Amino acid sequence: MASIHLSGLTKFYGKRRGVEDVSLQVGDQEFLTVFGPAGAGKTTTLNLIAGIVTPDRGSIRIGEKTVDPLEPADRNVAMVFESYALYPQFTVYQNMAFPLRSPKHCLPAAEVEQRVRHFATMLKIDHLLERQIQALSNGQRQRTALGRALVRRPDVFLMDEPLSHLDAKLRHSMRAELKEMRGQLGTTTIYVTHDYLEAMSLGDRVAVINQGRILQVGTPEEVYFQPTTVEVAKLFGDPEINLIEAKIRSRQSTSVRVQALGEDWSFPITPEIGSALDKLTGENVQLGFRPADVTVGVNGNSSLHGVVYSFEPLGTKSVLTIDSVAGQRVRALVDGHRTFQVDRRIEFSVPSASLIFFDPESTRYLIRSTRTEGED
Amino acid sequence: MAELILKTLTKVYTQAQSAAVDELNLGVRDGEFIALLGPSGCGKSTTLRMVAGLESVTSGEIRIGNKLVNDLHPKDRGVGLAFENYALYPPLKVRDNLAFNLRAHGLGAKEINRRVDEIARTLQIQELLDLKPAALSSGQKQRVNMARAMVRRPSVLLLDEPLSHLDARLRVELRTEIKRLHAEQRFTTVIVTHDQLEAMALADRIAVMNEGKLQQFDTPLEVFNHPANEFVAGFLGEPPMNIFRTAVADSRRLVIPDTDFALPIMPAIQKLVGSRKELKLGIRPWGIRVSQTQTDGAVPGVVVVVEDLGDETRVGIRYGEVLIMSSIPVTRRYRPGLPVFLNFNEEDLNLFDPMTGERLSDGSDSSNQPYENAAENEIQAPVSR
Amino acid sequence: MTQSRSPLAKIGKGLQILLLLAYAVFALFPLLWMFIMSIKPDSQMLTTTFIFTPTLENYATVLHSDYMQFFFNNLIVSVAAVLVSLVVGVPAAYALARFQFKGKEDIAFTILSFRFAPEILVILPLYLIYQRLGLYDTYFGLIWVYQLITLPLLIWILRGFFEDISPDIEAAAQLDGYTWWQVFLRVLLPLVKPGLVAAGLLCFIFAWNSFTFPLLLSNNVQTSTVIALRYLASDTVHYGQVAAAAAISALPEVILALLIQKHLVRGLSFGAVKG
Repeated sequence: MASIHLSGLTKFYGKRRGVEDVSLQVGDQEFLTVFGPAGAGKTTTLNLIAGIVTPDRGSIRIGEKTVDPLEPADRNVAMVFESYALYPQFTVYQNMAFPLRSPKHCLPAAEVEQRVRHFATMLKIDHLLERQIQALSNGQRQRTALGRALVRRPDVFLMDEPLSHLDAKLRHSMRAELKEMRGQLGTTTIYVTHDYLEAMSLGDRVAVINQGRILQVGTPEEVYFQPTTVEVAKLFGDPEINLIEAKIRSRQSTSVRVQALGEDWSFPITPEIGSALDKLTGENVQLGFRPADVTVGVNGNSSLHGVVYSFEPLGTKSVLTIDSVAGQRVRALVDGHRTFQVDRRIEFSVPSASLIFFDPESTRYLIRSTRTEGED
Repeated sequence: MAELILKTLTKVYTQAQSAAVDELNLGVRDGEFIALLGPSGCGKSTTLRMVAGLESVTSGEIRIGNKLVNDLHPKDRGVGLAFENYALYPPLKVRDNLAFNLRAHGLGAKEINRRVDEIARTLQIQELLDLKPAALSSGQKQRVNMARAMVRRPSVLLLDEPLSHLDARLRVELRTEIKRLHAEQRFTTVIVTHDQLEAMALADRIAVMNEGKLQQFDTPLEVFNHPANEFVAGFLGEPPMNIFRTAVADSRRLVIPDTDFALPIMPAIQKLVGSRKELKLGIRPWGIRVSQTQTDGAVPGVVVVVEDLGDETRVGIRYGEVLIMSSIPVTRRYRPGLPVFLNFNEEDLNLFDPMTGERLSDGSDSSNQPYENAAENEIQAPVSR
Repeated sequence: MTQSRSPLAKIGKGLQILLLLAYAVFALFPLLWMFIMSIKPDSQMLTTTFIFTPTLENYATVLHSDYMQFFFNNLIVSVAAVLVSLVVGVPAAYALARFQFKGKEDIAFTILSFRFAPEILVILPLYLIYQRLGLYDTYFGLIWVYQLITLPLLIWILRGFFEDISPDIEAAAQLDGYTWWQVFLRVLLPLVKPGLVAAGLLCFIFAWNSFTFPLLLSNNVQTSTVIALRYLASDTVHYGQVAAAAAISALPEVILALLIQKHLVRGLSFGAVKG
């Protein structure tokens, strides 16, 4: 059990940036997810911590110990690889026992047996222990890889997209199981993923990374509701967040009138939002709102107008793409029971509480209305 | 444009143990968009390739616009196919890629140019016409690929996993575009996909396939809300449907043995349960309401997993081996260890035979569904518009 | 599927077997011919009919000569050459597969290029150098020069095998608490075993069959391939004895190939599949 401190980690592969100036603190027993698109530097970060890759600059501390000069074997970290990296010539049992039999740990046979069986039962692969790796399904391989990491009881778990090769159904149930298991293990974990649902579901905190740099570190709530930049906002949510340019027309102390999506609309603001807007240099502000927050055509008090561009039912929810008056498209997530005809004129509105304000120059987060619980 | 009818279409590879496509019956109406949906190896791609003429037919019929096309050369069938891996001709500019096929059919240069420009406008690729495929992004390649399939105005447009190689953002974007395009152009379209969201979003009707056999052929909402069997129920929906085995205790309650799970059998499903001793219960996460106050018929449980996902929150309640997931409003805060009560929404309950996996049905489900009998191997009369 | 076989299918199956048999005879014909020749007396050697009185006399003559001495010479140099190649080639193949360094592809290509030139092209300078260095007519000299034959082959086959192993597996084993050497011995070597066997065998065959090098770079330390020449006397050619000598000489290869056939097929096809 240990905390992890990364400071100023930088690694270039030739000219290509792996990661640059990554600093991160992971608390003891914390579960941190590292989230970003492909090629963002997530795996490089893990490899640096594991010691598989050596950094150009920066240093890593696990617990009180600086591990920079240590070999991977001496860092007492366990890793689950995206490719699983199981030993194909061994059985499930031999794979799981392999770390325990190493000169580093070298446990007595009875202890090895006991630990392997314990974790195999926990992962529900106890009936597969004598199987060869080739004879396993993807999901079973994934569990074996997890088991091989768990048996060691390391200081730190590193998990590299462990669920990404599973089919959608298995991924959802494994994610829930992992989350459930987390509580029992209580080991400091860094979990890399490109799936924002995994990142939000599993992480105590989420580190958002792109192009080798950390963009934001925060609780799932913070990164979702208060993204530090437009870039972060776009990485979370499916469909993607709606982003529109708004021109501020006039402002009172408690409300603001803007022109956006080709229409004039006004909404109430708090004093905090007011003072945030004061900091803007121009008269434009960028507004972000999630498709789920858009309300479509209720009791005629909607302020915005548009035409249905496309309607895609997804079961419980449907995606509605709306051509606004200005021509810019807005996506809304509506209840699965409602249907909309293409090209129909509709009204919609965006609750002011769901608006996120960004500085259009720097694309940085300004402020959003505080979400109070129970509010819609 | 025309309707497409598949009649007891079968494909057996000589070396294979079983049929890749087994007596498939499908009727696609003129202008309709249908999706062939299933896991890899379910026979959906083989079906598409048979329709396109790239794969021989073992037995059965393929009719396009009421003409038997079994033995016609691919180019004479009037089908346009957009390949999964784009398959653009690398040395040719986009314009020539699009014109290639038209030239082969001996159209005049003027007509070809007119058609190419028209399709380029429709798919918003005008500015790409003078580029070579290598210079295009994957999203652009897919647009060109679709344009090439559509430029010859096929009777049937076939799309083979058109979005599977795109990243998530682009996939959602192009999905919307395809949907819009179909709304405008009304091509008779068959899309092959393994992504259930894609199938739901795009298709007028979905044909779910597994192991070469048609499982269900119906509208997206019908397939979603009234799955014909356990396979269909499990394949559609994200997060997946909760499906678990229950025993019938003194014909009054459904229970998971050795756990607290005991669900009173509601009047609506009384008839379905009948004298069964065991059945499988299926319910989507949204069909379960979780509350902290006990109400009539509620099942007690303890929260073991809480997932805060921004727009929604999911909680998991464990009963032995079974982990039941439910979706709750984001405004409520639950923590693991909290005792709760589950209310199962009556109309969201799906019951399946524990052996065959077939949906238990008293027949009332399908009364307003004139086309549901497709599953019973009957060809529907194509409805012309 | 229990498909009842039609008569036509049966005939097809029979024809298939017949064709395969015919090909087997065609492919093995040289071996067969050699064996037949080896049991023919010299007098009947050139008859065109297949009627002859079989005799073991050729074998007796060969075995009673010092032929076996040369047979063992060949065994010593060939086995030693393969062993040296393994010791040098396995790490080289690993390095070429795993590490990124400057001129990596050039080095790999240079190694391969040793196989391009015919041996006869380099034999003269080699002969002079060997004379000066005192390597002429020594075991060591032959083993060394055989590396030209065996090493490129071994390195190129094994490189493909090492490339097929995900670097993740190595990293995993190191994290599991093993040193690099232990990882190499316990995880990597077992995984490349099929390749090792196939490459080793091929190297052995090429070394064993080598003719030009032992012919010109040794005198007393001759190998069995070369010594078969002596039966081509100036007055007559003892075809029967040549054949018998060749048959004995081919024996180790045949036995080896049969013993490790399974590995051979897997080893050679495994490397070939990767794109």
